[in-house]
Amino acid sequence: MRLKKPIIAVAAVSAFALAACGGSSDGDSAGDEGGSSVDVNTSGDTGRDQDPTREGPASIDGATEGGTVTVLSASGLNTMDPTEAYYQNTTSILTGLVTRTLTQYAYDEENNKMVLVPDMATDLGTPNDDFTEWTFTLKDGLTYEDGTPVEAEDFVWSAARSMDREAFPEGPGFSNEYFEGGDTYKGPYTGNGLKGFTAVTADGNTLTYKMKTPFPDMPYWASFAALGPIPQDASDPEEYRLHPLATGPYMFDDYVPEKSLRLVRNPEWNADSDPARTAYPDEYVFDLQTESTQIDQILKEDASGDQATLTYDDILAEDYRDLSSTGRMSEGTFPLTSFWAPDYRKITDIKIRQAIAYAYPYADANRAGGYIEDVTSVPASTLMPPGTAGRKEFNPLEVDPGTTDVEKAKALLEEADAVGYEIKWLYATDDDNSVAAKDVVEQALTDAGFTATPVPTTIADFSTLRSDPDTDINVRSGGWIADWPSGASWFPPLLKTTDVDAGVVGANYSMFSEQSVDDQIQTILASPIEEQAEMWGELDETIATEYYPLIMLRYGGVAQAHGSAVEGHFIDNTIGMPTWKNIWVNQG
Amino acid sequence: MALSTGTDEIVSGAEGPDEKSEEAPSSKNLAGRSPTQIALERLRKDKVALVCSAILLVLVLLAVFAPLICDWLNIYVDYSNPDAPRPSEVLGPDNYPIIGPPDHGFIWSHPLGIEPRTGYDNLAYILYGLRTSLMVAVLATAFSTVVGVTLGLIAGYARGWVDSALSFFIDFFLSFPFILGALALAPIITQRFGGSSDSLARAQLLSIVGVLVFFGWMGLARLIRGQVLSLREREFVQAAQVIGVPTRQVLFKELLPNLVAPIVVAVSLSLPGYVAAEAGLSYLGIGLTESPSLGRMVNNATNYFENYPLYLWSPVIVIMIMVIALNLVGDSIRDAFDPKTRR
Repeated sequence: MRLKKPIIAVAAVSAFALAACGGSSDGDSAGDEGGSSVDVNTSGDTGRDQDPTREGPASIDGATEGGTVTVLSASGLNTMDPTEAYYQNTTSILTGLVTRTLTQYAYDEENNKMVLVPDMATDLGTPNDDFTEWTFTLKDGLTYEDGTPVEAEDFVWSAARSMDREAFPEGPGFSNEYFEGGDTYKGPYTGNGLKGFTAVTADGNTLTYKMKTPFPDMPYWASFAALGPIPQDASDPEEYRLHPLATGPYMFDDYVPEKSLRLVRNPEWNADSDPARTAYPDEYVFDLQTESTQIDQILKEDASGDQATLTYDDILAEDYRDLSSTGRMSEGTFPLTSFWAPDYRKITDIKIRQAIAYAYPYADANRAGGYIEDVTSVPASTLMPPGTAGRKEFNPLEVDPGTTDVEKAKALLEEADAVGYEIKWLYATDDDNSVAAKDVVEQALTDAGFTATPVPTTIADFSTLRSDPDTDINVRSGGWIADWPSGASWFPPLLKTTDVDAGVVGANYSMFSEQSVDDQIQTILASPIEEQAEMWGELDETIATEYYPLIMLRYGGVAQAHGSAVEGHFIDNTIGMPTWKNIWVNQG
Repeated sequence: MALSTGTDEIVSGAEGPDEKSEEAPSSKNLAGRSPTQIALERLRKDKVALVCSAILLVLVLLAVFAPLICDWLNIYVDYSNPDAPRPSEVLGPDNYPIIGPPDHGFIWSHPLGIEPRTGYDNLAYILYGLRTSLMVAVLATAFSTVVGVTLGLIAGYARGWVDSALSFFIDFFLSFPFILGALALAPIITQRFGGSSDSLARAQLLSIVGVLVFFGWMGLARLIRGQVLSLREREFVQAAQVIGVPTRQVLFKELLPNLVAPIVVAVSLSLPGYVAAEAGLSYLGIGLTESPSLGRMVNNATNYFENYPLYLWSPVIVIMIMVIALNLVGDSIRDAFDPKTRR
């Protein structure tokens, strides 16, 4: 999943799992309920709970209809074509308000959790024995905003569309990864219509999805807007991205790409069939590319005309005290892990990598980078963030996560006979946070006996330089957001050998390559589904203790604010966005 | 206008009455004095000029001795000194200082407070920022004066196509959008000199001077050209030409000394302009990122104004004092050199 905009410190990339596990509805002991609003220990299980029988309509006690919600953000909306929407903001706005799909998340206020529930399908789908075939049955009486009925064929079309990597380069690639013919069928626009597309078949109200590899996480993938219904004759990519046909409670009215969007009620929305969405406000108005300082100012003042305003951007650290004292803040976590990736080809001694971890100024970097400690930056120990299925809690270092120990770093460096070892990493001169963080990191490394060489670049060039294996740096910073709570969305993309000689880095920023780890990943993927979750947890620990390829900097958190009339602004901890389905305007 | 050739002290008719009316009662010596001497005499009597010059002198001394002052006060502008506090030692989780203003009252160890995010001392940062500001302004003024005066002299004296070409050149540069040029240059500089942050700091300093000179020499060049156009028709120039004085000598020995006044005025008025321009560019993030800069401090501080006004006020006031003092001194110099001014 992509962040709202490229941020240097995090700069996450799409996470594609090569096979998957977890997602089982065991919903093991969720841990402390209630308590603090930010559940950093379990992250509300980031959507691992499922409720296949929930039925609509959904309602909120005490909520009243009416009002216009204004949404402010500094980043624009990239494409709004459901097939290509793969940023935090585009995905969650589409699936929360506009387009329905087979499954969806519902917010469980009591336990502060996201629960996977049915949407247009009657349940969460039925797999065959080895998870290579999934069957969904559609509900009756579903229509688009123009009144035309939703056909099962529209799901076939959208699945075919979701495999067109050339027409939708920014979209998620899970269909190609898992669906039958994913590597040969090029999509309806690049290829020749539906010719050769066999993965999805419709029979009356029944849809059958065929996989090339076992895919137990299909219900999660089915919740993406890309797999919602798209009518074939109205789906020209150039036009559809400007006005995707609504099946949910709101439809597009005015839309200026990257700048503004107005959503109005969709009269054809069938509330009785929708177990999670509500439609209390009359309109949503998205005002984008607003300065962060201005957004915070509007929310701080909460003037009478702006009380129904909310933002899904993190508030600035300097405004945290003002806004948190108003009680109009929503804090939460989402499955993001940020890390420093030492180049495994260049920094070959594990002691040096560990020394970096001990030397890294976690607390200083939080302040310099504009993070709010324990809110938007949670100390991290393992690669899999809290809430991931099978996550094993352990600490590969001898100090608490997020603690610096200069003496330890010095000792390790001396042991490795590498005092004065040069660390070269990128920072962006046009990003104040990046520059300030560079200063503290540079000094901390120097203190520990390293030679620190920060390499300046610009925001625009940052990711290009980072993904070039020949760039003259030996540490890369990166981050990763899981698309669903499974270890398979972490290890294969991040730590499996890539063809570095051919210039392919992917998300393996450390250029990590160990045959035994590659083998173990294969073994896990080929193991029975129910054993995989635990095996990923074991692998996480094995890798960290034996190779220590990644230095975990922080887990992700969000701190969003809203005006005093906005009710139901919680944090969707699968994606770090507001729970759109729960929002209403208090006009009292 | 003074017509002296610099060495010979001839007081012109226009200058005469002016001088007499002011100087006669106090001085019996009616011997000729150079316009520069007259101007200096006037400046000495100008209280505003004296006060502002004193302020400027203090600012310059503060800037020059910034490292010594910071050492003496134990305040730091980076982390290179082991005693310098780290962000987590002096800042809370929400990035506000946990000692000193705004939450805990004045402390002597950090008279102007601590910078959020970095934990640097604000006073130290301002002193070093002052240093950068003055250095950039002085360098930019020096270079743009040299370029402007040279091209203005040539254009005004040359006549014909050289004059047309140079005038077009000047107009061409004047029509160039300054901010756009600076915006376009900043990333190129970073790319080209991005080897390390040290070389980048030097490159940025030189590039900001370069940008300011590039877009700042035209005004002076035009002014000088205009002056030369009228001067070259005067008898002493024509006399020099007639007796075969080489062109170079006519330009630099005959014409240039007569241009001292406009040049001094232009220089004194362009200094504050460059100080403000450097702050403005750094505020926009296209100036200096690797060295302390008052403009950057203002930019960083704006978000904190509500809870931490001192952080914004201190650099703003320093810039204000410096620019106002420079401007007032500049004005006084102009008045002093301008024979039409009466007081």
